[in-house]
Amino acid sequence: MKADLTDKALHSEFRRKVEALSGQNLSNCYQCGKCSGGCPVEPDVDVSPTRLLRMVQLGLEAEALSSDSIWHCAGCGTCNGRCPMGIDIVRIKDALRKLTKEMHFGRGSLEAWTFYESFLDCVRNFGRLSEIGLMGAYNINSGKLLTNVKKAPWFLMRNKLGVSPHTIKRIDRLQRVFERIEEIEGK
Amino acid sequence: MKYAYYPGCSSEGSGAEYARASEAVLEALGVELEEIDDWVCCGATPAHATSHLLSIALPAISCAAAEKQSLDILTCCACCHSRLKQVNQEVKDDPELRAKISGIIEEEVQGSLNVMHITEVLAREVGLESIKAHVRKPLKGLKVACYYGCLMSRMPEALLSDKSEYPMLLDNLMDAIGAEPLDWPYKTECCGAALTLTQTKTVIRLSADVLHMAKQNGADVLCVACPLCQANLDMFQGEAEKLLGERFSIPVIYFVQLMGLAMDLGTKRICLDRLIVDPLPVLAQKGLIDGAVYL
Repeated sequence: MKADLTDKALHSEFRRKVEALSGQNLSNCYQCGKCSGGCPVEPDVDVSPTRLLRMVQLGLEAEALSSDSIWHCAGCGTCNGRCPMGIDIVRIKDALRKLTKEMHFGRGSLEAWTFYESFLDCVRNFGRLSEIGLMGAYNINSGKLLTNVKKAPWFLMRNKLGVSPHTIKRIDRLQRVFERIEEIEGK
Repeated sequence: MKYAYYPGCSSEGSGAEYARASEAVLEALGVELEEIDDWVCCGATPAHATSHLLSIALPAISCAAAEKQSLDILTCCACCHSRLKQVNQEVKDDPELRAKISGIIEEEVQGSLNVMHITEVLAREVGLESIKAHVRKPLKGLKVACYYGCLMSRMPEALLSDKSEYPMLLDNLMDAIGAEPLDWPYKTECCGAALTLTQTKTVIRLSADVLHMAKQNGADVLCVACPLCQANLDMFQGEAEKLLGERFSIPVIYFVQLMGLAMDLGTKRICLDRLIVDPLPVLAQKGLIDGAVYL
């Protein structure tokens, strides 16, 4: 990877956006690698957390947003816990995920977005999550109809699935909350 | 001792046994619960991965409701706890955010309460001595690997004020009920968390590592305090066995179920029948339940 170290690259629009969305200062990262050393999904990804942060520092937008590592992140926070500079790396990954949606990047993004949206739709409609509703919606919306279907008999036998989602009393207020946030965030 | 209770969505589905056993144990120890009126889902990973404001607004609705009840919040789910605690702190520290969120949720939220995880309440507020006094059948000889996972041990704002790399809260509780907590190295490794649906292979690999390490250290059971950890380690145990070519058969039991067993609250009330890897054979073998019924 050839890196452009000019002033323009180091103060890229992309880096500025990530810093604004995450509330983190990327200059604090001095590439010690502790985040990658502890990352549980590091063996499954092409770009380690340390390299991902370097990409953002260097304004390498396409490389950062198309890396599969932002979708494999389990959000466990080992990186945050071990960062000697106290950088909230989980929030940086959250920011990158949001940007991939704007920029239509990313291999893993379809499954992840389908999961996020199926989950939040359920919360928006009922106020609480119904796990059976989420699994059904995810399988239909992602087109992967058989995801974890083999687990269904276990869940039924052990009575692990709530029958129907429970709707909260003040659902109207909750829906206004979602609308207001969409307005503020300009969706 | 009374708390505003946030059951969380899994208490109505896959984690119902965790909620029922927690309620039974707290009641037996004299802790009163008043459910937060009209509580709302905390938004979990999908909210914080997509919208910072939504990830604060959703928990703030439940925090505001608890503030009206003037009670500190108690929750059992590690994920709900981490979200509620983080949001409570953020709105407390940032007046601008507090005003903005109060406007969005049509209600004043102050961030004035403590948000407690059930392990903290039991180990620190109720106290280990009081728990010991309630034990009827000590779980002698049961080797327990306490598994904390990530959300109980990490996330800077949500720390349980326990050692993040080697926590002891669950170990101390298991010791109090007469079980043998193991010194093992994977207490805080990640099980794959919310990747269950989207990156199932990763979840199976990570859960397999945890199960393998527990087995190697001689665990009879894994003890957990998070519905997501429980689901991943229990539900994918068959796949994990195939992946490593190794037989585990390790029951993944909520710590409150083990406490309820030691306090003799009855196997029905602590819902041992709802776990996928059946814990009854190993418990019977150790003489902790009536073996004739199950073996």
